[in-house]
Amino acid sequence: MMRSPFTIALAGLALSACSQTDPQQTTSAALTEGVLVPGYSSWVETNRQLASSGAAFCADQQDLATARQAFLGAQSAWAGLQPMLVGPMGEGNLSWQVQFWPDKKNLVARQVTALLNKTPQVTPAILDKSSVVVQGLTAYEYVLYDTSIDLNDPAQKARYCPLLTAIGDHQQALSTHVLEQWQAEDGISAQLKTFPNERYAEPTEAIAELLRTQVTAIDGLKKKLGTPMGRQSKGTPQPYQAEAWRSNASMSNVSATLAGAEKIWHGANNDGIQALLGDDNKALKDKIDAAYAETRAQLATLQRPLSEMLKDEQGRKSLNDFYETLNILHRLHEGELARTLGIQLGFNANDGD
Amino acid sequence: MIRLPLASASLLAIAISLAGCGEDKAPATQAAAPAPAPSAAPATPAATSKVDEAAAKAVVNHYADIALAVFSDAASTGKELHAAIDAFLAEPTDATLKAAREAWVTARAPYMQSEVFRFGNPVVDDWEGQLNAWPLDEGLIDYVAKDYQHALGNPGATANIIANTEIQVGEDKVDVAQITPETLASLNELGGSEANVATGYHAIEFLLWGQDLNGTNPGAGERPASDFIVGEGATGEHNERRREYLKAAADLLVSDLDEMVAQWQPGKPDNYRASLEKDSAENGMRKMFFGMGSLSLGELAGERMKVSLEANSTEDEQDCFSDNTHNAHFYDAKGIRNIYLGEYKKVDGSTLTGPSLSSLVEKVDPATDKTLKDDLANTEAKLQVMVDTAEKGEKYDQMIAAENAEGNQIVRDAIAALVKQTGAIEQAAGKLGISDLNPDTADHEF
Repeated sequence: MMRSPFTIALAGLALSACSQTDPQQTTSAALTEGVLVPGYSSWVETNRQLASSGAAFCADQQDLATARQAFLGAQSAWAGLQPMLVGPMGEGNLSWQVQFWPDKKNLVARQVTALLNKTPQVTPAILDKSSVVVQGLTAYEYVLYDTSIDLNDPAQKARYCPLLTAIGDHQQALSTHVLEQWQAEDGISAQLKTFPNERYAEPTEAIAELLRTQVTAIDGLKKKLGTPMGRQSKGTPQPYQAEAWRSNASMSNVSATLAGAEKIWHGANNDGIQALLGDDNKALKDKIDAAYAETRAQLATLQRPLSEMLKDEQGRKSLNDFYETLNILHRLHEGELARTLGIQLGFNANDGD
Repeated sequence: MIRLPLASASLLAIAISLAGCGEDKAPATQAAAPAPAPSAAPATPAATSKVDEAAAKAVVNHYADIALAVFSDAASTGKELHAAIDAFLAEPTDATLKAAREAWVTARAPYMQSEVFRFGNPVVDDWEGQLNAWPLDEGLIDYVAKDYQHALGNPGATANIIANTEIQVGEDKVDVAQITPETLASLNELGGSEANVATGYHAIEFLLWGQDLNGTNPGAGERPASDFIVGEGATGEHNERRREYLKAAADLLVSDLDEMVAQWQPGKPDNYRASLEKDSAENGMRKMFFGMGSLSLGELAGERMKVSLEANSTEDEQDCFSDNTHNAHFYDAKGIRNIYLGEYKKVDGSTLTGPSLSSLVEKVDPATDKTLKDDLANTEAKLQVMVDTAEKGEKYDQMIAAENAEGNQIVRDAIAALVKQTGAIEQAAGKLGISDLNPDTADHEF
């Protein structure tokens, strides 16, 4: 039978439709290029600054205030990266090397002291083999901020400086290596853009992992706030169980994580997860937009450090109000959004039977 | 375990409340736990109809029989511990102290096998904090060494109940003149800090062994028997109160264990077992699988092994005063295996057997059953290596030392086996039509 030109044209149309990337692939690729890779790149940059700041501070070429700024930059970039911990950074225990939280029993004090007593001249090689507690931001923060350490005293500065510079080097090397893994041929970046691959059989799996990571980070914020608020300890505030309490950066960390989560939602050009909701789901899209706006607005009213807010009634009430908006945001993602996208966020979503 | 039930409790509540509502139990439960990699999907809920309701009921009833046997053994060995403590207090010598310590180690074996009942059965989860909460700020209880580190901001961390008839906790004064089981129970989580643990196995362990001041070097706690002598030769001060404390803690342990035995007795219309048996067999099996998976992954592999290993932290070691951690891990895992196989080797040496999850899975899919059985056996073998190593003298706190590559590997192998078996547990559950399991990961990713 002769094929009419018409059928051939139709077949051609059908074919071209098939070869078009599907929306999930488009979204995954857009997030990779527009949000994830830039996020990891700027994290690497803050770690480069951390390492060079530590070296300069220890060579007496930089003051403590400036060194603290470099630390806060790296810590904030790490907080912003939380909703993006897909791939190598979400595996194994790598993230503990960057930050150890919760530190319920003040392990950082014990382990930093033990390490320096044992090996006063800590080198990066020694640090590599040491406890995760002393390898990252938690120990760096302890040295720069703990009231028991006076870095204006030359003897103390000399004692702690080998550790500071070793941590800076460790973080720089670690983050650089992770970024390389992202950008390698067949790296995670490529795996989020073309399918199937070793990691994802199809784009749905990539989107599921992106959403899961984002939801886990938002849920993590509830824990990071709920713990010091005393939500799990009969309502008694536990200020020292907060993340970044020494540097008074608990709330700005929350803000950075939320901003990261919102980037996953919006994408760099309105091409994030939100792009997967069609016109028929406009109501849900609006609800999530509103939830982000509300959490941002609430957060903007919380101007005092967390430890201070925990001390008075008004502060605790404001924190509770904020916690509720976070909760709404979390529920919307893990419930309605996941359901609408047909994504199982649970234990098994990732695996085929 | 006080340490993480926050996440698990809510998860459990969700899992269980949803379990009752038939169709509508899909996504809401899903996001609660961050999803770790190792898993298997019960993608299509296999037909529950494949499982005969009566057969499933028999499995759940046997599960309750195992619980009764395990808790009964925990109670009887708890009473032997109590008797050994009485003998020690009557005549505090090195020999009676040694006997009391041995009784404590013996009592731990059945208790650890009961932990698999914790997740999934609120009656156990709500109760166990008073018995096994950990890690604790032991300065609440007694004297501690100078370099003692505790949870920052814990107002009771150095309260030292034994040395004081009244303790200051934040702005409040608490009267502890009389050391009774009730007083001690009321002091748990004092001031809102979960590190304030005044009762249970670990409080008794601290009193029998004292702080382990050896870090990751050899050696456990070395409290002398003379800490309990009154009069000549006494050490440690406030010995009358230390004796009262140990006695009260042992009394409370025994009464708590008896209380849990009663919850699992058959034929008692108002106890927990009755409600479990009234519920559907599917919900019963969900609790069984949920308990196995949660203990396996989040609690044992995560909180108890991964944290202590990665942080090289003896502070996060389960039985840290006595250096009995290898056994604690071994019997925790054994408990998981018991539930799947429907077997429990009692303290008297006899073995309880009966209808098992394994037999149900085997009927539906023999390969899945075999995988899980193999995985459970593999985990036990890996933990046996840990036990053997410890018995040769290298204890868990030495294995997790930063520079001990071989020791680290032993722990890592056990973690990997537990993670793998958790995947197989999910698979098996899926074959019986039980999805929405979401074992608690305690926020660990593997």
